[in-house]
Amino acid sequence: MKKKNRRLAVVMVASIVAVIVILSVIVAVTGYQQFTHVLEQQYNDTAYEVAETALTYLNPDKLEGYLQSGRTDEEYDAILARLDELVVSSNCNFIYVAKIDETDYMTTTYIYDSVNPATGFSRYEFGYVSRDTDPKYVDDLKHILTTGGRAEKYLYSYTESGAHTTAGLAVQDSAGRVVAVIGVEKSMTVLYGARSTYVRWVASIAVTMVILTLLVYLLWLNRKVIRPIAEITGEAKRFANDGENPVTSLKATKNRYEIGVLASSILKMEAEIKRYIDNLTAVTAEKERIGAELDIATHIQSSMLPCIFPAFPERPEVDIYASMNPAKEVGGDFYDFFMVDDTHLAIVMADVSGKGVPAALFMVIGKTLIKDHTSPGRDLGEVFTEVNRLLCEGNGEELFITAFEGVLDLETGRFDFVNAGHEMPFIRRKGKYTPEKIRAGFVLAGLETTRYRAGSLQMEAGDAIFQYTDGVTEATNAENELYGMERLEAVLNQNADAAPDALLTAVKADIDAFVGDAPQFDDITMLCLEFKEMMR
Amino acid sequence: MTITKNQNGSHLDMALEGRLDTATAPQLEAELKQSMDGVTELALDFAGLEYLSSAGLRVLLSAQKVMNRQGSMVIKNVNETIMEIFEVTGFADILTIA
Repeated sequence: MKKKNRRLAVVMVASIVAVIVILSVIVAVTGYQQFTHVLEQQYNDTAYEVAETALTYLNPDKLEGYLQSGRTDEEYDAILARLDELVVSSNCNFIYVAKIDETDYMTTTYIYDSVNPATGFSRYEFGYVSRDTDPKYVDDLKHILTTGGRAEKYLYSYTESGAHTTAGLAVQDSAGRVVAVIGVEKSMTVLYGARSTYVRWVASIAVTMVILTLLVYLLWLNRKVIRPIAEITGEAKRFANDGENPVTSLKATKNRYEIGVLASSILKMEAEIKRYIDNLTAVTAEKERIGAELDIATHIQSSMLPCIFPAFPERPEVDIYASMNPAKEVGGDFYDFFMVDDTHLAIVMADVSGKGVPAALFMVIGKTLIKDHTSPGRDLGEVFTEVNRLLCEGNGEELFITAFEGVLDLETGRFDFVNAGHEMPFIRRKGKYTPEKIRAGFVLAGLETTRYRAGSLQMEAGDAIFQYTDGVTEATNAENELYGMERLEAVLNQNADAAPDALLTAVKADIDAFVGDAPQFDDITMLCLEFKEMMR
Repeated sequence: MTITKNQNGSHLDMALEGRLDTATAPQLEAELKQSMDGVTELALDFAGLEYLSSAGLRVLLSAQKVMNRQGSMVIKNVNETIMEIFEVTGFADILTIA
């Protein structure tokens, strides 16, 4: 499934909006709390000022007397009238003076109670007893009564009738005893309105700021980030698809941030990839050319070896067959056979040290020289001595050739041969192949001064000669074992009656079976000459 | 193939172990090229050598040619298999085998 690319701008804007919204909410909530707190304190202070004023109106020494006798007097009425005026003029809800039962702080006996008519409540008459004091006020009442000071906590309540705050003070008589509590409750009328105004302000400022910031930020983002990145992305995508025409300039390279570096890197990278591709194309073309030339070389080389069989259909005296399987494209082995004159057939088997093109070139020289210098009646030792001398001239690579050449006289069966460091041939006499121990001279192209001597043996009608290169005996299997002379001798004798081409096929099949999957290291070259009858 | 070198002034001993063939001959050639300067006596120890191919023979021939000019080269502890290769190829005639 293709992953859908999310657009960078959308993600960035969304995250910025989210951050600003969260910040605004935090600011609004803290501001709201702070604002409430300050207002509450302000109202409470006012309530306390009213309570202090009311306290000066009272005559505390007489309060206990009123409660004990259950009767009030004229002074009481005068004070109540003044408190009634104060509750209205100070815009408070209630001003009351009450005796608190100090056993549970829950029972309140009202002495004075002035009620602002605007609240719609009516006053508790003198001696009214309330037993349902809110338990959360108990600690504060206890504190006021025992220390004679203010309430420690602010008393606030938020009810259906609105928000209000209460101030509580101890009323002390002339002896300093706490005889009652004076309470003033004030409505926090402005609080709601002010608070909602505040929230609206904060919200609208936040929204305006968000929009303004976003606009500026988006403009900046588009100019400095989105457009350059889009340009780079587009170019990278284009180049990745066609790999051609690397651009030489991008506007984004002028970007002062990392994007500029990225753009420069893209330019540099495209140029280098282009150069690399061109180089690779050239190298590949060159490699293909070399490969094609090697193919031609292989073809030329193999066509240099006589490969039309039967080679001498007009000569019933001999049957000859040869084959070469190079290990690399071009090999260093070669064989040859040709008529020296009407009655003499020459065979050559050779192996150039080393592999590949140098060996193949050296092989061509060697093969040509040997054939050119073999002439009717010429001693083969003399031929190799001369060929060796010529090969040593300008042999900078210090390659050498092991070579065997033999010339069969078809009229007499005399077989002259010369051996320059090459393997012993196998000769079939009376239907049995045996290795012929012949003297070996030094390899060709080794030392300029080497002199070669020819040898000679007699072949009868029905005899055959098998010659090969070390690729046969040194064919190696996966266990690093060599094919060896014994295996070769065995397979030759198993096929002793076979014609040359069938014999070579059988030997090759036996080698292949022995080697198995192991790679072929050396050229495998073989030649078999069967002397069928004397020439008459 | 493992080559152990021991040089003492103009005397260089080299012991070869393993197979000296197309794949390893360049290694021996490089080693020889590097250390043959000024050597007058080169001794190659073939005690640990299992196999020798024509590519190896080529390196030996090059070394023999160099040593013919600047001193002498001797090959020691040649086993039967390798001796046969030297004889078949005629190298037995041009190398000093001790």
